[in-house]
Amino acid sequence: MLFLRRTLPLIIAFVVGMIGILVFYIPHSGAQSLEQELATWDRIVAAFALVLGIYSLMRLHWSRVRRQQAAWGYSFLVFVGFVITTLFAIYNDGIGPFEPQVLNSGPFDWMYKYVQVPADATMFSILAFFIASAAYRTFRARTPEAAILLISAIIVMIGRVPIGASIYQGLPEIAQWMMDVPNLAAKRGILLGVSLGIVATSLRIIFGVERSYLGGGEE
Amino acid sequence: MRYFLCCIILVLCAAQLYAQQPTGVKAEDTPNDSGGSITVVWNRAELPDGTMYKIAVSESETGPFHPAASIDPSGNLQSSDPGTFGHGTETSQMHFAKIAEYDDPVDPSKKIAIENGKTYYVQVIAQLPYDEVFPSAIASTEAYENFFNTLKTNNFVLGTIFSLIILGGIFLAQKRELFIRRIAGLEALDEALGRATEMGKPVLFIHGLHPMGSVSTIAAINVLARVAQRTAEFNTELRVANQDPVVMAVSQEVVKESYLNAGRPDAYSENSVFMVATEQFSYAAALDGMMVRDRPATNIMMGYFYAESLLLAETGASTGAIQIAGTDSYTQLPFFITTCDYTLMGEELYAASAYLSREPKLLGSLKGQDIGKAVLLIVMILGTILTTILGNQTLTHIFTAY
Amino acid sequence: MKEFLLTIDRRIIFIFVALGVIIPSLATVRLPIPITEDVKAIYDTIEEVSAKNGTILISFDYGPGSMPEVQPMALAVLRHCFRKNVKVIGMSHWPTAVGLAQEAFDIASKEFGAQYGEDYTYLGYKPGGGSLVINMGRNFHDAFQKDLQGSNTTELPITKNINGLANFDYVICLAAGNTPDGIWIPFGQERYKFKFGLGCTAVMAPDQYPYLQSGQMNGMMGGLAGAAEYETLIETSGKAIAGMGAQSFVHLIIIAFIILGNVMYFLYGRQKGGAQ
Repeated sequence: MLFLRRTLPLIIAFVVGMIGILVFYIPHSGAQSLEQELATWDRIVAAFALVLGIYSLMRLHWSRVRRQQAAWGYSFLVFVGFVITTLFAIYNDGIGPFEPQVLNSGPFDWMYKYVQVPADATMFSILAFFIASAAYRTFRARTPEAAILLISAIIVMIGRVPIGASIYQGLPEIAQWMMDVPNLAAKRGILLGVSLGIVATSLRIIFGVERSYLGGGEE
Repeated sequence: MRYFLCCIILVLCAAQLYAQQPTGVKAEDTPNDSGGSITVVWNRAELPDGTMYKIAVSESETGPFHPAASIDPSGNLQSSDPGTFGHGTETSQMHFAKIAEYDDPVDPSKKIAIENGKTYYVQVIAQLPYDEVFPSAIASTEAYENFFNTLKTNNFVLGTIFSLIILGGIFLAQKRELFIRRIAGLEALDEALGRATEMGKPVLFIHGLHPMGSVSTIAAINVLARVAQRTAEFNTELRVANQDPVVMAVSQEVVKESYLNAGRPDAYSENSVFMVATEQFSYAAALDGMMVRDRPATNIMMGYFYAESLLLAETGASTGAIQIAGTDSYTQLPFFITTCDYTLMGEELYAASAYLSREPKLLGSLKGQDIGKAVLLIVMILGTILTTILGNQTLTHIFTAY
Repeated sequence: MKEFLLTIDRRIIFIFVALGVIIPSLATVRLPIPITEDVKAIYDTIEEVSAKNGTILISFDYGPGSMPEVQPMALAVLRHCFRKNVKVIGMSHWPTAVGLAQEAFDIASKEFGAQYGEDYTYLGYKPGGGSLVINMGRNFHDAFQKDLQGSNTTELPITKNINGLANFDYVICLAAGNTPDGIWIPFGQERYKFKFGLGCTAVMAPDQYPYLQSGQMNGMMGGLAGAAEYETLIETSGKAIAGMGAQSFVHLIIIAFIILGNVMYFLYGRQKGGAQ
């Protein structure tokens, strides 16, 4: 049992990790085919995992409906949405599930255009309101560094929209310079540190030093 | 006299002919590929406007030769492909062409691919305006598969050096104790979980949007393992929200194991690790709803976040929950910093596992990372000096990706 | 009054933001739009592709949430391509992009009479991310055996000669997530060395500058402003140009609140240990 839960996953992580690194340097068709094969398997696993996700979603919300927990009505709506969308997809504007999905007419398209699109767009638009309130509450020039950030932010915010050029012709150029030079330098610095972190984490996993992703920490 | 003039004209014509004829023609296997291609190189020459180089390929030295490529003399200089031909000054005086197929003699609209292990004969023809043609000498070669991509030699060497530094750090860590600076966000983890216990309210752990292959997700899983162990010990309800089914499956295993290790397998419920939605804003909306309705005492957001970060953190802040966030998504860091009590920034998230466990091997890898960073800093300073002051590009070339 | 200005209720801020969007949208405020080099680079590359009658790949990697920012980019690029007879193959890493991408193809192809199968096709969504790009790199027809309408990619005129990613004259990713720096650059551009351009949400844009400087990306449209620049370049007034007035005013409102917050903080807040 320990072999299946610990040793085998560690062996798989090591072997697949090393193959992933080596095929990057080997252009031979054998290595490239192996990489193609691994990529195909990865896609198959990802597709199967979706089924797992649907199962988890349904089980969670079914238990809420069954126990009539607080706000169980929302959980019921999950089932309504799931069943209606699936039925519309199968109906496929009258031509059935075995034909390519009709995308510019029919009830499935209607659900997408007039339910999902506005609902998602509404969620995203809330961001503008939250940014304004968070900026007002916390964007304060408490230190010289914060003051520099504040001034830079204001210049970029005005310079990136057309009204900036109307206020002062040079503002877009100053904003662009800020993005191209100080912003780029900072991003590159962070990126280098993060990349080293990724190398270190990958090595820890490949060589079995990091095991907590298997659950339960180091025993 | 007439005879002499004829000789001069003939010599001049021959010289002219020679000047137009492509010289230095060589053919070789195209390096760094899986075969199916040969590379032809020849010297650059001054040619009249409108001249084109035509590359012709044959399976026999005596022909017939079939068209394979047409090259403008103003392009295809070796200097445009420094990865293959280097950075020498001579590369601006040599042309090259990579040939993977040539016209089918039976049906010129079709192509015949270059096969591995077969000898091909190549001729470069300078085609001047008014259809005057000057063929070169014939060169031959075979295409074959390569076992190492020499373009990536610098990547391989540098990758190996940095890996050895990190592995060296792990090895050294087993011999002596290493210092790790305080990370406030991780120090506060126990306090945040304790508060949830005191209030009798759940802890909500929110994964970012990246899949299992992402390092930030792996780091988040590592933090989750520690959080689950603590919630099991404190007997506090833990809810883990997922956007990716694979991450959910791994999280379920991790939480289950952690409860088992804490001696509380009975306290684990499969419903505590659940799928919320695969879509970004459905995920955010559902979690905002949970925060407002269930009012968890502690929200932990770990992984890679996008625009939903502020939607989640601002809603969490409005419910009065203690919030700890950790992400390597720099664009979202300001949102977390302004709305969360503690934020793990970039590498701090990766270091979380080592920090929480104090496992020497994990701490050693952090030390290795720091040494790697020091090496990179020195290289950058040296590279800047060499390039800016001395005009020497050697270091830049070593660190260029081809 | 002092207390009120120190801790303005967030709902009041929300009202100002809402008015900042609604009023300029109703009044159709039009402002001159300056063009940045990063956006011009994408435009110029499509002009170059047009000169050699080439084919480009557009990866639609966004969803309804980011539609207001990214869909105008998709329409502007498609209009440019179809006007200049550039062939376009579309695909998606995001399932929610399918309807939006199809809609963009329908609108732009009708306007310019582009023919399905000859001038454009849309392959739809496939899972896999980086693995899908690796598969597409070497064997395009294997990765996408059929397009969304069920036609075989080995038979369709536009796709039959595409063997791998290197056959595309340009690849453009229209993104609201990790697909440019997480998928297209490491698994695609870095291996197959195609020209790569990006259209992304404004919040993603600052992250992408290192890739622009390294040349792994040759151009970028960032947010609605980037889309408006592209619409200006192709001389077509779309939703992005129309949205610039609202965006400009909302930025001014946010700046005004930041300044107000700081003025109150320096006048009164510091004595109280900082306003929150």
